Amino acid sequence: MSSPQVLHIPPVKRSMLAQLWNDRMGRVGLLLTTFTLIAAVIGPIIFVFDSGAVGADATTLLMPPTRTHILGTDELGRDVFSQFLSGSRVSLLVGLMATVISTIIGAGVGIAAGFFTGKLDTVLMAVTDFFLVVPAMPLMIAMGAIFGQNLTIIIVIIGLLSWPRTARIVRSQTLSLRERKFVPRARSLGSTNWRIIKVHMIPHVLPLLIANTILVVAGAILSEATLAFIGLGDPNRISWGSMLHFAFASGAVGRGAWWYFMPPGLGILLIVLAFTLVGHAFDKINNPHLGGSS
Amino acid sequence: MVSMTTSGSSINRRSFLRGAAILGVASGVPGLLSACAPPTTNGNGTTPSTLFKVGWKSDIDTLNPFTTVTTEAIEVQSLIYDNLMHYGLDLKAEPGLATQAVASGNTITYTLRDGVTWHDGTPFSADDVVYTIDLIAKNQLGINAQYLVDLTSVEAPDAKTVVATFSRPQAFDPALVIPIVPKHIWSTKTPDDISTFDNAAPVGTGPFTFGSWTKGQNAVVNRNDKWWGTKPAASSVSWTLYTNDDLQAQALKSGEIDIIPQVPPTIFTGLVGTDGIATANLDSFSFHHIGINVSNDGKSKGNPLLLDKSIRQALSCALDRNQVVQIAYAGLAVPAAGLLPPSFGDYYYTPANADVLDNNPDKANALLDSAGYTAKDGDGIRQSKDGKPLSFRILAISTTTVDVRTAQLFVESAAKVGIKLELSTVDSDTMGSTVYNTDGPDWDLFVWGWDSGVNDPDYLLGVPLSSQIGGNNDVFYADKEYDAMYDAQAGELDHAKRVAIVQEMQAKFYSDCAYIIPVYLKKLQAYRTASWSNLQETPGGIIFNFTRDNYLKATPGK
Amino acid sequence: MSYLPRKLLQVLGSIFAVATFNFFLFHIIPGDPIRLIARTQKLDPEAVAELRKKFGLDGSIIHQYLVYLKNLAHADLGYSFSLHEGVGSVLLRALGHTALLLTVSTLIVVIIGIAIGVYAGSRQGKKSDSWIVISSLVFWSMPTFWVGMLLVFVFGVWWGGLPISGITTPNAVYSGSLSYMMDIARHLILPTLTLALVDIAFFIMITRTSLIEVMHEDYMLTARGKGLSRKTVVWKHGVRNALLPVMTASALYISALVGGAIQVEVVYSWPGMGLLMYNSVLARDYPVLEACFLVSSIVVLLANFASDVLYRVLDPRVSVAR
Repeated sequence: MSSPQVLHIPPVKRSMLAQLWNDRMGRVGLLLTTFTLIAAVIGPIIFVFDSGAVGADATTLLMPPTRTHILGTDELGRDVFSQFLSGSRVSLLVGLMATVISTIIGAGVGIAAGFFTGKLDTVLMAVTDFFLVVPAMPLMIAMGAIFGQNLTIIIVIIGLLSWPRTARIVRSQTLSLRERKFVPRARSLGSTNWRIIKVHMIPHVLPLLIANTILVVAGAILSEATLAFIGLGDPNRISWGSMLHFAFASGAVGRGAWWYFMPPGLGILLIVLAFTLVGHAFDKINNPHLGGSS
Repeated sequence: MVSMTTSGSSINRRSFLRGAAILGVASGVPGLLSACAPPTTNGNGTTPSTLFKVGWKSDIDTLNPFTTVTTEAIEVQSLIYDNLMHYGLDLKAEPGLATQAVASGNTITYTLRDGVTWHDGTPFSADDVVYTIDLIAKNQLGINAQYLVDLTSVEAPDAKTVVATFSRPQAFDPALVIPIVPKHIWSTKTPDDISTFDNAAPVGTGPFTFGSWTKGQNAVVNRNDKWWGTKPAASSVSWTLYTNDDLQAQALKSGEIDIIPQVPPTIFTGLVGTDGIATANLDSFSFHHIGINVSNDGKSKGNPLLLDKSIRQALSCALDRNQVVQIAYAGLAVPAAGLLPPSFGDYYYTPANADVLDNNPDKANALLDSAGYTAKDGDGIRQSKDGKPLSFRILAISTTTVDVRTAQLFVESAAKVGIKLELSTVDSDTMGSTVYNTDGPDWDLFVWGWDSGVNDPDYLLGVPLSSQIGGNNDVFYADKEYDAMYDAQAGELDHAKRVAIVQEMQAKFYSDCAYIIPVYLKKLQAYRTASWSNLQETPGGIIFNFTRDNYLKATPGK
Repeated sequence: MSYLPRKLLQVLGSIFAVATFNFFLFHIIPGDPIRLIARTQKLDPEAVAELRKKFGLDGSIIHQYLVYLKNLAHADLGYSFSLHEGVGSVLLRALGHTALLLTVSTLIVVIIGIAIGVYAGSRQGKKSDSWIVISSLVFWSMPTFWVGMLLVFVFGVWWGGLPISGITTPNAVYSGSLSYMMDIARHLILPTLTLALVDIAFFIMITRTSLIEVMHEDYMLTARGKGLSRKTVVWKHGVRNALLPVMTASALYISALVGGAIQVEVVYSWPGMGLLMYNSVLARDYPVLEACFLVSSIVVLLANFASDVLYRVLDPRVSVAR
């Protein structure tokens, strides 16, 4: 069996991080991502948020930053800073888990369609195109309203509605791989379809898939924030989106309580930007002639 | 305005019983009021200073006085239609279409005003009054039907007199709340028609004529210069719908509106001290409560442990009412006990020290221990002797922030005495149909509230009557002793004696803990001081109150 | 089959698929459909029977589906219990307001986005290009609703000079239709600005990438070789060819724009489809939600169709042999 390394696809895996690091935007993205992940993992352990630790009396509600509450308090007198840290976990969790679902479906559909072609391809691509055009946000809102406000359900909804782009990209990559010589050769040597997919397809689809996956995380975090802002977040789990929901609903904007509505928004901005930068840097590595960034 | 308050909007309990009426509309033709009001063009380019501009958070449901349930719609209708009698700014009865009402035994005799005409020019007559009252009583139409349950007849012995006869003396004169409609317009419809009629262009005798209603945007009424009373200074009144409390408050600051009748506590705090804005923190006739399913009907799917009074009392002791006031209401409410808020004067009940069931975890623990709920599971949740955990569900309406916050605080407090509460939030319709499901109420606890539409204890005291199961009674409380005391106070004409009975009823209801009442609400209103003067800060509110007089007596400018 | 009829058939197929999907989505709601349709507890048996008949619930799921299609064909979208009105008329009113917001912001986003994108693309690798790319990515990473909240704070609360709520000034008296239109225009400023700040990035990036790819094409290199100036090459040849992929991308953008518009409408209480969906979520008004999803899908499908056809008409590589 011939080694797949002869292909034009760069052997990204080994030098992936190094290449990312060499790209300025990729570097910034990597640093930001690492920083946020560390903050989300460690932060809530050091600054524990107690959702029951409400203020002592009415004067402690929506209080500007003080030494004990470095980002002030929310409309129930609870500490915004620790809430912000614990919110990062929920936002990241939804983003990552939804992406796992989306990637499994997208890669599965894409490889199946591209590898087996024919009728299966036609059907799978019709379904993909359908979900690609259908406006995702109204559908997420409708599904959120129907199936209820629970973190798992929100993850599944976002995951189920963000795979079509992945499927499209994976399919075209699979199609082009299929044309390469090694596939008929592997087949003539008696490899099963599953083996060909496992050994020849998946490793070569991976670089593109990773780049795309990273962008899906960014999209999923934004989707969760939007759903939570609309009021479809999990009432028992505070995310950055639901913090903004409560800030908006409790009149924090009108009272100029910037300490309440700025941090969660900036948090979303940073984490989404981080993933976007890494994703774009990946794109550039996979697609070198674009030069600049894209 | 007799309604269940859900913060911004108020939904009368009866909205949940209106299924048939709503369905009638559903299968019929969709509403007609969809046309956008075209911009008026009179060339001056500014808002006239005699326009009285109100902001609100929920829309009118319908302009039909026989099917309406929202405070908003009743407010608009109160300016278009006149009642026989009205509440004045002192919340006492004053003449309306009737120049006087004389109660004697089982009858009330109304002397009608001369020279009144309907907005369409038709003269007003005693026939209109008889028609309206008769229609409501015979068909049990709308939210005012409850005041006419005892009516036996209504007739007009002459053109200037209407006599209403009841089966027993009436402590409350229903004329104070019933808008009189024109017979010549309504009598062409069957009661079924009326229950589906949208009344898109209401004709009344009131101080204002209907102008326009643009769904989702605003409603306008214009001054009726032929009205019988003193001509109001406001040339028009408009109510504008806002979807966000904050944007509404900004609109008040910018002068887009003159007054907000319902300001949420956190926004209110932000408005206090703002230049040119006056804030009014007024007593109200409303409370919010935690209801407990005490239905002993076998069909109830509520947790049977809650039928044990000691658990209910422990829950009441666990709750810190002052904390609810401070945190959920930003300090802008009053810690509560009995069914009647302080605005009811000497009917208001305060428990003796020994009877207080508030913010006392020790007492809660003692109650639970002595009732045998001593075993605890790994999470510290108490269990009954046969191993059932003290774990209950609690419901709140997701858009009623104060209730959600109250429930959140309650969950934390209950956990401290070993009772687990699980909060879920739902929309108001689902809440209503779940709570009032007489076929087997499937819930344990909930949070919402009541708002008395009348300045008399009768209404709120009547809510937990066993006869109100299937009616207003939202916790399926059934107690013969309580029912008997209710009847006694209703027939008691000696004020001091009535007060004593009312106090005893409240003490009993407080100790039975079918309701845990954390707060009496405050009516939080805010208005621009430069726009209108002569606004009197009346208990219950400047507007959105039993009285409409502030609309009529306001004068433009400082 | 020739191009247009085939494409049209495809669109109709997709609309049919959306309608079918919609049906099944809203029919797997747990609980009695009548309860969910009526939202009230006490129904007299007659009314229940009538409702069951109207929605075909007295028959099999296939029967229900056919009844649903029949109602759709008669443009009967059901009844909104939170608004006491037919869903059709509610939707029609909201649709116009959303269309206004979307049209204005799309025009601004597309024109400015393409202009900046061409500028950046033609200066690939230079400092100005990198700055444009980076700031585009930053804006693209912001949640639209949060940008809206910030603008409400800055322009509504802090400075107080711009309207932050609704589509017109309540109770305004206009001296003519011009002043009426000016009022709407003023109310459009912040919602449009919000959408534009976030979405312009999308067009900048697409245009830039597309232009860079075109500039690497052989015929472009030939044009440069002929000694034409860089400016002429970029604007005369590059942009013309680069815009085609941008157009295809625009179709996809419409779908994203719908999501952005929902958020903007909620923040600024703009009385369109987004605010309607938001209110329907709060009231769990399923018939309205169902119709909102259906209508927004159809709009997006039609927009895609239009852009496909336009692409076909304009693409020199398709219509004229290269």
